[in-house]
Amino acid sequence: MTDASELKQDYAITTQDLDIYYGNFRAVKGVNLNFEQRKITAIIGPSGCGKSTVLRCFNRMNDFIPGARATGSILFHGQNIYDPHIDPVRIRQQIGMVFQKPNPFPKSIYENITWGLKANGFRGKLDSIVEESLQQAALWDEVKDSLGKSALSLSGGQQQRLCIARALAVKPEIILMDEPCSALDPSATLKIEDLMRNLSVNYTIIIVTHNMQQAGRASDYTAFFSMAPDRAGVMVEYGETSQIFTNPRTKTTEDYISGRYG
Amino acid sequence: MARENMNLQIHLIQDELLVMGSMVEQATMQAVQALKNRDVNTARLIYNNDRVINEKRYAVESAVLILIATQQPLAHDLRLLAAMLEISSELERMGDYAKGICKVVFNLRDVELPIPIKEFEEMADKAVNMFHRALAAFVSEDYQTAKAIPAEDDQVDQLFIKAQHFIVHTMLERPEIIDHMNLLLWVAHNLERLADRVTNICERTYFIATGEFLELETEPRDIQGE
Repeated sequence: MTDASELKQDYAITTQDLDIYYGNFRAVKGVNLNFEQRKITAIIGPSGCGKSTVLRCFNRMNDFIPGARATGSILFHGQNIYDPHIDPVRIRQQIGMVFQKPNPFPKSIYENITWGLKANGFRGKLDSIVEESLQQAALWDEVKDSLGKSALSLSGGQQQRLCIARALAVKPEIILMDEPCSALDPSATLKIEDLMRNLSVNYTIIIVTHNMQQAGRASDYTAFFSMAPDRAGVMVEYGETSQIFTNPRTKTTEDYISGRYG
Repeated sequence: MARENMNLQIHLIQDELLVMGSMVEQATMQAVQALKNRDVNTARLIYNNDRVINEKRYAVESAVLILIATQQPLAHDLRLLAAMLEISSELERMGDYAKGICKVVFNLRDVELPIPIKEFEEMADKAVNMFHRALAAFVSEDYQTAKAIPAEDDQVDQLFIKAQHFIVHTMLERPEIIDHMNLLLWVAHNLERLADRVTNICERTYFIATGEFLELETEPRDIQGE
């Protein structure tokens, strides 16, 4: 272990001078953030400020975008997840992601949960993991009698909870959520938020959201991103959600969260 | 600047608070004059008019709650709205003090007794003056002025003590009018409390502007004697 990892071992993820590029365009610059373990951190900010870009870096989803690269470091268990010897597949197992639109595989509910396990070469009792994951995602009671049914027959809110169950099945430490409720109705949205609260007992959750009220309701900490004059996204302010929403330190944050900018 | 509708609604509520404030100022000054002139008719008018102040308080409360429910104000907007709820209730209570003085005017009708009216008038003048400037500071969010005003409460307290001494002295000299003199103690008390509530308004202004709760001291830290 390096000194840095010993310093930062209390955090789930630490970014240091993180810059993210798409080709020559610097999309995000100079992000220094510590994400608290087993807490919910919301990343908010206007469109184009790089919040999804940052989130996707945390499990190297940006690797799939040609020309995307990151400099600086993203420390997870003391190691920079962009180090050459790090296996991105392993990272994505430890740091799962839930997307904007529910994207279950066109397979049965059961297979949606077991797919990742099988891909990771899991040899154990699948049934119990399916049940446990669906329980944790607050979906078990609704689907326990129809596990063989197509996942696509579920409602949008159920599909999103299935995607959360699918992420949980491979036992991650961190769950990244990219606008997980933007395609859901208010009641399904509140269910997901309750679920996030329950999951935060065991998992670190980082959520990108456009919905300020959702950030206020559902998160413990909030990071506000904005766009610098060179159009690179920058982190403007980070703090406890209660502070950011009642007494932000900067005028830019104030203007954004009170709906006067962005 | 976005959110023009919400800004407009907030300004309308602020205007209502200012109207309430001027009603309270007027009621206070007139109540003391009614006591001076033993003018029961004016006292009755002010007494009845307090209902309008109370109704305005509920209207402000309702308007603030509707804005919170429908507009989801945050940060400065939220602090301002929360403070307006508090201030409307302060104004309502201040109106009650004026009403209380009017009640004393009724109860003392046809009663001959010495009234420390000079002290009462000065207390009312001073308190209303502080109050007026506190409301102006609230509207302009001038937190430095808001922070400075409570120190002036000392002058009202001095006048209160003077009036109180006079009343107690009279009670000792003329025990037969103790009951009536006691009502005058209430007048002194009401005017003194009115000035205290100005401090509460100033604290809210400080909170709106800075996000910090600051207790603006008006009393010496140690209470003298037993």
